[in-house]
Formats: sequence, C-alpha cells, structure tokens
Amino acid sequence: MVADGSHAPGGMASRSRGRANAMQRFARRRSTVAFLMTVPLLAIIIGLVAYPAAYAIYLSTLNRRMTAFAGTLNFELLFESDTFWMVAFQSCFFAITAVVLKASIGFWLAHMLHHIPDKGQRKWRGMLLVPWVIPPALSTLGWWWMFDPSYSSINWLLAVISVPEVPWLGHHWWARIAIIMVNVWIGAPFFMIMYLAALKSVPEQLYEAAMIDGASSFQRLRYVTLPMMANIISITVLFSLIVTFANYDIVRVLTNGGPRDLTHVFASYAFQVGILSGNIPRGAAVSLFMFPILALCAFFVLRSVTRRNKEQM
Amino acid sequence: MSASTAGAAPKGIYHLAGSLRKERRWALWVAYISLVFAAIIFMAPPFYMFITSLKGSGEIASQIGSPWLVRDPTLDNYSAIIFNPLFQRFMFNSIVITLFVVALTMVISILAAFALARMRFFGSQALATGVFLTYLVPDTLLFIPLYQIVGGLGLLNSIWGLILVYPTLTVPFCTWIMIGYFTSIPKELDEAALIDGASWSQMLLRIFIPVALPGIIAATIFAFTVSWAAFVYPTAFVTTPDQMPLTIGVVSQLVRADTFAWGQIMAGALVAALPPVVIYAFLMDYYIAGLTAGATKG
Amino acid sequence: MAFDRMTRRDVLRASALATVAGGTLAAPAVHAQPTTTLRCGFWDHWVPAGNGAMRELCAEWGERNRVNVQVDFITSVGNQNLLTIAAQAQSRSGHDILSFPTWEPAAKYDMLEPLDDVMGRLTAKYGPVNAAAEYLGKIRGKWVAIPAVSGTQMKPACVRFDLMEQHAGIDIRAMWPANDTRGPGADTWNWDTFLTAAEKCHAAGVPFGMPMGSFTDAVDTVGAIMASFGATMMDREGKVTVQGNAKLKTAVEYLVKLSRFLPNDVWAWDDGANNRALISGRSALIFNPPSAWAVAKRDAPQVAEKCWTVPVPAGPEGRFTPYLPYFWGIWSFSRNKGPAKQLLEFLSERTSAEKQTNTSNGYDIPPFVSMNNFEVWAKEGPPVGTVYNYPLRAHHNATASIAMAPAPAEFAVQAYQQALNTKVVARIAQGGETIDQSLDWLHRELTNIVRGG
Repeated sequence: MVADGSHAPGGMASRSRGRANAMQRFARRRSTVAFLMTVPLLAIIIGLVAYPAAYAIYLSTLNRRMTAFAGTLNFELLFESDTFWMVAFQSCFFAITAVVLKASIGFWLAHMLHHIPDKGQRKWRGMLLVPWVIPPALSTLGWWWMFDPSYSSINWLLAVISVPEVPWLGHHWWARIAIIMVNVWIGAPFFMIMYLAALKSVPEQLYEAAMIDGASSFQRLRYVTLPMMANIISITVLFSLIVTFANYDIVRVLTNGGPRDLTHVFASYAFQVGILSGNIPRGAAVSLFMFPILALCAFFVLRSVTRRNKEQM
Repeated sequence: MSASTAGAAPKGIYHLAGSLRKERRWALWVAYISLVFAAIIFMAPPFYMFITSLKGSGEIASQIGSPWLVRDPTLDNYSAIIFNPLFQRFMFNSIVITLFVVALTMVISILAAFALARMRFFGSQALATGVFLTYLVPDTLLFIPLYQIVGGLGLLNSIWGLILVYPTLTVPFCTWIMIGYFTSIPKELDEAALIDGASWSQMLLRIFIPVALPGIIAATIFAFTVSWAAFVYPTAFVTTPDQMPLTIGVVSQLVRADTFAWGQIMAGALVAALPPVVIYAFLMDYYIAGLTAGATKG
Repeated sequence: MAFDRMTRRDVLRASALATVAGGTLAAPAVHAQPTTTLRCGFWDHWVPAGNGAMRELCAEWGERNRVNVQVDFITSVGNQNLLTIAAQAQSRSGHDILSFPTWEPAAKYDMLEPLDDVMGRLTAKYGPVNAAAEYLGKIRGKWVAIPAVSGTQMKPACVRFDLMEQHAGIDIRAMWPANDTRGPGADTWNWDTFLTAAEKCHAAGVPFGMPMGSFTDAVDTVGAIMASFGATMMDREGKVTVQGNAKLKTAVEYLVKLSRFLPNDVWAWDDGANNRALISGRSALIFNPPSAWAVAKRDAPQVAEKCWTVPVPAGPEGRFTPYLPYFWGIWSFSRNKGPAKQLLEFLSERTSAEKQTNTSNGYDIPPFVSMNNFEVWAKEGPPVGTVYNYPLRAHHNATASIAMAPAPAEFAVQAYQQALNTKVVARIAQGGETIDQSLDWLHRELTNIVRGG
C-alpha cells in the first residue's frame, strides 16, 4: 500500500496522460487491495457467524453426550414437549406485543416531541433516551428490585391508589407483562428517535397544503404522515422484531424463565437446556428455531432497505 | 443524521385561522402532558435505583414507609462497591475488553467500509449485503456453537475469548454505517486526490477519515456501548469472577440471595452504567446520529 | 466477597512477620518457593463467615506441603456453579478441584478422577458415610467424588416458635427440645398437622415460606415430601412410574392443598426468597439450613432469637429430610491429581470438618455418620440449641432424601434441573390443570428424557 501510487505524475503538461495511467494502475490493483482490506471483515463473518451457524445445525443432530449422530431426534423430542411449545408461544407473544407497544409509544412520543418548539426538543429528547442508554442487564436489575415481592415499590405506589398487591414475578401472566413492560421501557426511546428523525424529513408544505384543504389532524396523520413514514416504520418494526425475538437479558435477570418455564423465550430456553443442563445439541436445536422467523424478517428488512435506497437515489 | 436536521417551524400556519391556533395550543398541552408523563416513567427506574443505593441495609430491611424516599442517606454503598476488589476487577475487565473491541472494530470496519464503498470489486455488492445480514443475526442464535468453538480454542472463561467474539456484535453495524458515510463523500474528492497522486492509504487517512469523522465517532460510540453492555456472551463464556466484565459481574456476583445487599447492588449497577451515560451526555448528537444512521441510511 | 485468593505467598508474608516478631530466623526463601499451584473452586457459602474456614484450611495445608493453593468461591445463586461445571467440562480446563452439587458427580462421572484410594483411607478412619452421599458419589462401583463437608446441607424446618405457638398452638421447642428426646406431640408432627398449621399461619398473615419454583430449595423439599408419601417418578432401571401410581397422586394432591396456604408468588421464589421471608419476619416457617438464621442473627437479631430448627414432618412412609450434598471432585484433566487428592483427604479429616462446621454456625453437615456429634450444634445460639436438631439425630427417625431418587443418575439430573416435581404441582395449583392432565404431562416429560438418553 505504501509503494502503491507513490510516483506522482509530474508536470502540468502530462496531467491528462498521467491521470489515465494512474487510473489504470488503480484499476488493476484496487481489487486486490480492496480484497485485502476486507479480509478481517470476511474472517469475522465467515469464522464467527457463518461457520458457527452451520456448526449449530451439525450440533443439533448429535445425541446428548455428543458421542453419536442422532438424526432428527432432538427436534422430535422438542416437538413432543409441552414446554417447548409454551416457549414458542411466549417468544412470539412477547416479541409481537412488545414491538407493537414500543412502536406505538415511540410514534406517539415522536409526534409530541415534534409538536413542541424546537429549542425545548433537545432537552426532552435527552431525557427520554436514558432507558436506551443504560445497559439493559443493569436497568433490568433495577426493575427486578422494583418488582421484588418483599418490598415492591411499584406495589407500594399501587397501594396508594388502593390497587391490591400484584404478584409481579410470581404469576406467569404478570411475569409476562412485567417482561414486556421492561422491554418496552428500554426499546420505546429508540423508536421515538427514529420516528422523530423521519417526521422531520416530511416536507412541511405537505401539511400546509393538507390544512388548507381542510384536513383534520387525524386525516393529516393518515394521509400525509403515515405514507411518508411507511418505509421507516416497516424497517424499524422488522428490525426490532428480530432483536426482541432474540432477547435474552431481560428474561435472564427478571425471571430466569420461571414460574414453570412459562416466561422462557427461545434464547433463554436454549441457554437453560444447552449450557446449564449440558445438553448442547438440544440447546442448539432450540436456538435454530429462531432462524426461520429471523430469516423472514431479515428478508423483508432487506427489501425495504433496497426500496428505500432506490427512492433516495 | 436526519435527526440532527432541525425541522422548520410552521410559522405560516399560526395566521391561518383562530380555530387552528386553538387546536395548536391544545396540541401543545397534550404534547407537554405526554412528555412529562413519559419522562416520569422513563426516569423512575434509574431514580429508584439511585434512591436505593443511598439507603443503608437496615433501612432497606425495615420495609416501613415509602420505598421512594430515603430517610437516612449514606454513601456507604458506593464506597463499599468502589473499594471492593471484586468490583474493581470487573471494572478493569470491562475497560480492557471494551478498549480492545473498539480498536479492533474500528480498524476492521473502516478498512472494509472504505473498500466496499469506493473500490468496487468482484462480489463487493454481495459482501455489503452480507454485512447487513450478519448484523441481523442475533448473538442468542450463535452462543451455543460459539461456546463449543471458544471452548475448543481454550478461551472459555477468559476475557480474550470475549474479545474474540464481541466483534461479531459490533463490526457488521459499524461497517454498515461507515459504508453509508463513505458513500456520501463526493467522488470528486477522491478524483482530485488521485490527480495529486495520492495512494489509497493516503486517500483514506487524509480525506475519508477526516471527512467522515462524525460517522466514525458515532460508530465508535456504538461499538463502545455494545461491548460495554454485552450480556449473552459473558454469561455463557465466563464463569469465574476474575474474568467477568461489569454487566455479568454485577448481576451474578453481587446478588447474594440471602442478604439485603440491594443498596450495594444498585450502587454497583449505577456505577457500571455510568460510562455509557457520561458519553451519551457529552456526545448525544453523535450518539443519536449513529442510532438513526443504521436504519435511515441502510 | 465471592472471589478470594489466599496465595501461599500471603501466608508466608504473614508467618514471616510472626517469626521475625518471635525473634527466630526464617527459613531460606529459596526452599519455600512452591512449585505447584492447586486451583480449587469451592461453593460460595451462604453463611457470612462460611468461606473463612475453607480459606484457612487450604492455606494451612498449602503451607505445610509447599503447594500454592488458590481458592475461588463459586456461588450457586443463578446456578453459577452449574454454569462453571459445564464450562470447565466443555473446555477441559479450569480448576483442579471443584465442588459438585447433588447429581453433578454422576452426570460428569466420566470426566472425574476416581477417588477410591482416598475414600478407602477415610472410611477406614471414620467409618461409613451416609447412604445418600454414597448413592450420589459412588458411580458404577467407583467413588468419583468425595462427599464434601462445606456446603453439604439438610433442609429441615426452621420455625419461628413464637408465631407457631401464637397462631397454630404448637409449642415446637417442647416438641423437639435441644437434646436427644422426643417431646410431647413429636409423634403428631406429620404432614397433616403441618397442613393445619400452614392454614392457620396463612390466615394470620405469616404464611410458611416454602418455595415451589425451580431452584434447589424447592426441588429438594418437594422431593422429600414426595418421598415421605412413598411417591417415585422413575425406578432404578429408568422406567417411568407415573401412570397409575396412587402414592404419587396422593403426594401431588397433598402438595396442591398445601400450596394454597403459601404466599402467592412461591412459584417464582429462588433459594434466597425463603430466607428473606424469614428474616423480614413475614414467615413462620421455612425449610432451610441455618443460613437464614445466621444472616438474621446479623441483620435482624430480634427474629433470630425466635428461630428453632426442627425435623421435617413425617409422612405415611416415614420421615425424609431434604438433603443437598456437595462433593469435591478432581477433574480428569487436572495435572495436579496427587496434591489434589491429599488436600481433599486433609479437608475431610475430623478436625478440618469440625472447623468447617463450626465456622459456618453448624451449617455444614459432614458426610461421615461418626461425625454427627460435633458440639457446635448444641452450643449455637441465641437461642441456644436452635440448631440442635439440624443434623439427623437418631431420635428423629429420619432418612436423608434425594429428590428424583432412585432414578438412574443420567435421567435424574435432567429431571432435577428441570424441577419436574415442583412443576407437576404448579401446573395444577397455578396452571389450573387437573391432576391427571398434569401427571400425563409429567409422564411425557420423563419419557422424553429417557428417549433423549
């Protein structure tokens, strides 16, 4: 790289010829150089993502002690187990509910932020993004303490408005709600920021035109804002669906899957089965179930992204 | 980047009609009420963690009165946690891991992004898509095979194992946003540089890096926050306290189930959360730029 | 805290100071340089001072044998110890000596160094270990791990005698005094009496704190209750014995009834939740070793003064005390097997065992039956004698119970970790299933385990 192109073409007269030469030389060399520059990236993608993913498939075909090939036994056993279907249900329920809530709250807050005068926005934005900034495992620890049955500060607040004590982590539906609450708390600011950015890129003339036509605020939202934001909404929702679906830390810190494995999601269940109980092949099989759903989301994300890029060009 | 572009206030609208102005004012009220409500809920957990961290264990155990107030504030929890060699070790590990990972990530992703953005070569388009897809593969899908692989390398229970695997979390996204930033640099700039006889390396160092500096800062912040907050890999790969980073250390070692050490746990969690919060406080615009760049540019 | 290292150098420094102070010449440092480093991962004790004994014993032995002993303490909170075992087995590296709970030696038997020689010498000296420890530690005729002192625990009932007397009318101290006699009413201390008392204490707002989640306290206790009803889920040959098992059905019915009088979130309790319930004064009874009492002694002395440990109630088939033994095992990949064996032998000696038990306020139960007469259990207090009935005593007429026994270890360990016995109850009491549905589920899960191998 140092030797490359170190001879500068000299003299004004030879500029055009020199330029052609330089371009040719670059053309010859640049694909090699470029390839070398992407080697570390390739190493990571192939060695630490593609290979492990393929290896997971291989692992899932082994028996528990990993001494013999077991075919599809791990998958068969999972299909037969009630717990696994509960986990599948809970993963989908958790991801969909949490993403819908995050997107709605984020959308609402972005709108509200967009409404207030510009100079106040920065302050509010800074404050509202805090949940997203704290490492999730640590803030979940704080939530755990707020849910703790012996001294729940949330129950204390509820008691003030005379709501009976809630067994936050003891009853599975409450525990599911608690997990969703924490996830929404952490993720809603992200949507808010994304939507705020998108709102700001909607040309103001469109609204003015709509207002002159006598459109109500709902109509403006329906016919101006939403179409303009459709792409960003779909990208963020699909993207968040992937991340939420694969979530692990909230469940790990808050409930560890309990009560009765009813709050396990794929990731935490794979951890429980694969690493904690030492059944690596079964755990690999569990985590592989995330793959089709993620691939589907990834396909749509990619499609939206390319469409968006085309629009921008 | 679009987040930092300020929206123009619709001044003309105010003069349209009285009813519109009324609607505006009403909307402003709704906006402020929603924002205050959201801010209270969003800030409550960190606030409660802070309140708890100021309480002595006697006050926490007594369970009388409002948990949201502190009667007898003390900094004991903080001094206990900061001078705890265990906690210092977590902090040290987190810092070492994060420094290595951020440095590795930035070198790898700037080189790769430069190549992918400017030097089209065979398969570069496919690789760019591949990078994005890699970013979509969650760590929870890979930790079991990686557990085997890292174990095979003898790096389980070592911060070096974490330094090896963390780039899978950071590199794809950083490369992706850097591609975005590099592509937005006008082609005329590199042509001019070529005419002046600059090499690729000079072009990268003298033109691309300075021009795309905001993007690089955003990517660095991203890499920092991700490796500071990483949870799945350390939970799976590290088991002894001397190799644990802060996140997993605070969660697994300070939670001593039979004692009321909540004050210390909360103090530990807050201290551990401090670095990203401080960076965020000072570099909020870059932070938000990095956050939005991923989806708006990509 | 959990992570503590006592290197031999530290000890040397301390002892060097002492010798200098004594005015004698220290030995030349060259000879004192230890060549081997022995890495031990012991269970991180729940009794606040519990780790001290292990640290001191290891330092003492290392000093004497010129071995650098490095001690880590690994907590069982959040199953950190299981994670550690799995990770070290996976990477074939880590500690030389590790603590293994209940079923883990059996699960990892092919990776553990046989310790028949050490056990042979120890049993020659101290007589047999208790049957349950032998069942779990001796796999296919070989001792794969040594029953440990530190961490090994019984989970009898720790009773707030004042609350029990006030609300249920049972004078538990008279029933189980701090000596080898059965007091008045001891014969009526069975699960029916217990159920009535649970109901009364629940009504009075101090419900019994019995966890029903998936952590060891819950699994061990439920396992013991099932055992006292004669209920088993799998036999010695690995045959699932759920269908048509009347005893199992009775046991499950009893547990469902009992669970109605427990706090409504016991399904999510971890091993610390029952301790917290007792220490905060909101529970009249928990099943736990004396760690809850020991912590209360420090944090809430007014509660500790009113605690009394008594045997678990008896069932139709006898009295079974929940038993959670730890084992010390040496990995087969260890390069220091010789010194490791010596250290384990030293730690198992009577004086070492007594030191561990003393330091842990009586928490640690030595595996050798002949050691069940340490003085600490009679002396600990206040109230003095509170843990007298903590170890198994002859007049209790009790057996140590291992949850999921007598199933073969490779299946039992999975059923144990998945907490199938508490879940079968929870599905009925909390999930609204009928008892037959729940038992069908249990049958399927166990069959699945057997098929998966």
